[in-house]
Amino acid sequence: MLKFLKQVGDYAKETVQAAKYIGQGLSVTFDHMQRRPVTVQYPYEKLIPSERFRGRIHFEFDKCIACEVCVRVCPINLPVVDWEMNKTTKKKQLKHYSIDFGVCIFCGNCVEYCPTNCLSMTEEYELSTYDRHELNYDSVALGRLPYKVTDDPMVTPLRELAYLPEGVTEPHGLPDNAQRAGLRPEEILEQEQSKN
Amino acid sequence: MNLAEGVQLVSLGLLSFMMLGAALGVVLLTNVVYSAFLLGGTFISAAGIYLLLNADFVATAQVLIYVGAVNVLIIFAIMLVNKRQDFAPLPKAWIRKSATAVVCLGLFSLLTTMVLVTPWNLSAEVASADSSIIEIGKHFFTDFLLPFELASVLLLMALVGAIILARREFLPEESAVAVQQPILTLPERPRELAGVTPGSPDRTIASKPSDRNK
Amino acid sequence: MYTYGRKRRAEHMEGIDLQQTFIRSLTELGIPSGAAKAIWMPLPMLLMIIGATVGVLVTVWLERKISAAAQQRIGPEYIGPLGVLAPVADGLKLIFKEDTVPAKSDPLLFTLGPVIVVIPVFLSYLIVPFGQNLVITNVSMGVLLWISLSSVVPIGLLMSGYASNNKYSLLGGLRAAAQSISYEIPLALAVLAVAMMSNSLSTVDIVDQQSGYGILGWNIWRQPIGFLIFWIAALAECERIPFDLPEAEEELVAGYQTEYSGMKFALFYLGSYVNLVLSALLVAVLYLGGWESPIPTSLLANLAGVSETSAWLEIVDAAVGITMTLLKAYFLVFIAILLRWTVPRVRIDQLLDLGWKFLLPVSLVNLLLTAALKIAFPVAFGG
Repeated sequence: MLKFLKQVGDYAKETVQAAKYIGQGLSVTFDHMQRRPVTVQYPYEKLIPSERFRGRIHFEFDKCIACEVCVRVCPINLPVVDWEMNKTTKKKQLKHYSIDFGVCIFCGNCVEYCPTNCLSMTEEYELSTYDRHELNYDSVALGRLPYKVTDDPMVTPLRELAYLPEGVTEPHGLPDNAQRAGLRPEEILEQEQSKN
Repeated sequence: MNLAEGVQLVSLGLLSFMMLGAALGVVLLTNVVYSAFLLGGTFISAAGIYLLLNADFVATAQVLIYVGAVNVLIIFAIMLVNKRQDFAPLPKAWIRKSATAVVCLGLFSLLTTMVLVTPWNLSAEVASADSSIIEIGKHFFTDFLLPFELASVLLLMALVGAIILARREFLPEESAVAVQQPILTLPERPRELAGVTPGSPDRTIASKPSDRNK
Repeated sequence: MYTYGRKRRAEHMEGIDLQQTFIRSLTELGIPSGAAKAIWMPLPMLLMIIGATVGVLVTVWLERKISAAAQQRIGPEYIGPLGVLAPVADGLKLIFKEDTVPAKSDPLLFTLGPVIVVIPVFLSYLIVPFGQNLVITNVSMGVLLWISLSSVVPIGLLMSGYASNNKYSLLGGLRAAAQSISYEIPLALAVLAVAMMSNSLSTVDIVDQQSGYGILGWNIWRQPIGFLIFWIAALAECERIPFDLPEAEEELVAGYQTEYSGMKFALFYLGSYVNLVLSALLVAVLYLGGWESPIPTSLLANLAGVSETSAWLEIVDAAVGITMTLLKAYFLVFIAILLRWTVPRVRIDQLLDLGWKFLLPVSLVNLLLTAALKIAFPVAFGG
């Protein structure tokens, strides 16, 4: 009998424990309801990509010397470099250049190794199309400059968390001249120079 | 005849028609799933007829127990063993069928004559719908006490049995575990241990695949 | 014992009686009283169906908004002010969507399944009271009618699961049936304890029995265990998380709803939300004093020196009653939504364990305790 009562008591204790845990969980969920939404209302608001954002690659046709380093450093040999030897100048002449962004992984190796800096990363990331072959950018498409988020009158640009002033977590309604937390690169440079 | 009587007559006709149709469907259809669902229809029509007789407690109990429990269990069982299989036509099936028909007709006529012959002791007063539970309760605890208690003891036994069955911890037999499965291994390339000192730089980078990500 | 309840009801009988007024005004216009009654009859039912549908729209909107808030999102925003038209847009989309029937299915049962699921749920609104006379029928079966009607639903689920010709649907249907059979018993036992205290199954009598002392008279203080059992079992009957095994996305795609689209799917969707609101309303009626406000209105009226029979007080009373019922119900819906984002889904064996090994014995003990307390303290426990 005593053993049975103890069993019942233990069972009741476990039940109370479980109820307590569920109550704690509920209070956590309830607490989350009072927090501000962290969402960015995408087509109307957009985050400003960071400085090292690796977006669609930009290509300058005239700088390219058709050395094919980009092809060699690419993990899948993606860039297509079409050139022919110009017999008179004894130089390679670029005829055509293309990168298929449906296959590119945006690792940035080509940009890193390009000897003439004719490749560069942009902040464009809206690459959706109705046909994947439209993502195969030729030299003309690669040469277009992306439209900056901050210049678009239809879009409210929002800063990313790392670019907000100290103590601020809300990018909405922030004045344009509010400085980010920490020192800016030029300030660091100044500091270094004054030290030396 | 006022509105209420007319509605009652029409619904009695409809319910009887539904009940007979569904019952015939249960018996005559070859698809057992249809039969099971039609059985639910029969039960619900019976509940409707009870409602027309001012026996609302019996009607709700009919729906709750026969439709909600019995019929669901029947359908459940059918679905768990569901195996679509066409019946192979039996030779001389008509003998069985006609024999069944004869038996059924005999039973039907027997019951009909019984209903017609028996002098029913019908009371003329209309049962009051609102207090039917009270009346049923009174009868249960006075003139129907013994059957009621017996039924409740039976149900209690079933309940206790169910709880005991459910609470029993199922322990798999030891012998089942004792049968050793042969441990399956993949053929593995022997590790090369030769010649490399632990600190040598060219081997440490990728000597073990698990170390690569460190 | 029963006459006591009757007498109390008779005392409360004054108050708004729309039916009598409506029929009287129609007979004054020269329409025979039978025809006037016939004209009256469909009106409250129509009102209730519209009310239930609007209630579902509100609940869907609440669910989306509260879920969004719990996940630090915004939720629907652009469809109407604050996104209130989002559920309407959902409904319109489902109406215009193609109604597909899977190959080799059973078209008759496939169509009949959702219908059988939805009809009992809407029928159960017959017994939900919003005031002394603001109920479609005050049948003496009351809560039992709701329980028996809700026991018909699994047949529809099994039917649609079977007819879909899809193993996930069949499994979902079987799970739904097993779940609602096992949770119906604790639910009925919890209701039985309440019915024992109020000597009646009628929802109006149950609320009347809780009236008079404001928030202190509510059944939740006398039946705390029963309240919890009822709420857990009701959540399981509604197939809400943490008991949404029949439509567990990760295992069963969508359970018995997998093959449904368009209006038939909308029926399931509607049915599940109507069922949630209905369960919340019934918890409010059974345990939270129904239409009674936390501070009794008659007390406030006495304090303000208004006579109890004045016409406008009755109107205010009815308005307060409806508001209170809805407020309590939506508070419980809110709790259900919060639970959805807090508790993970249970496994099928945990579900059946909880139902048969925990809720059933506890509800039996609760019933026994209630009976003992009723004999010991007949004043407090409705002797």
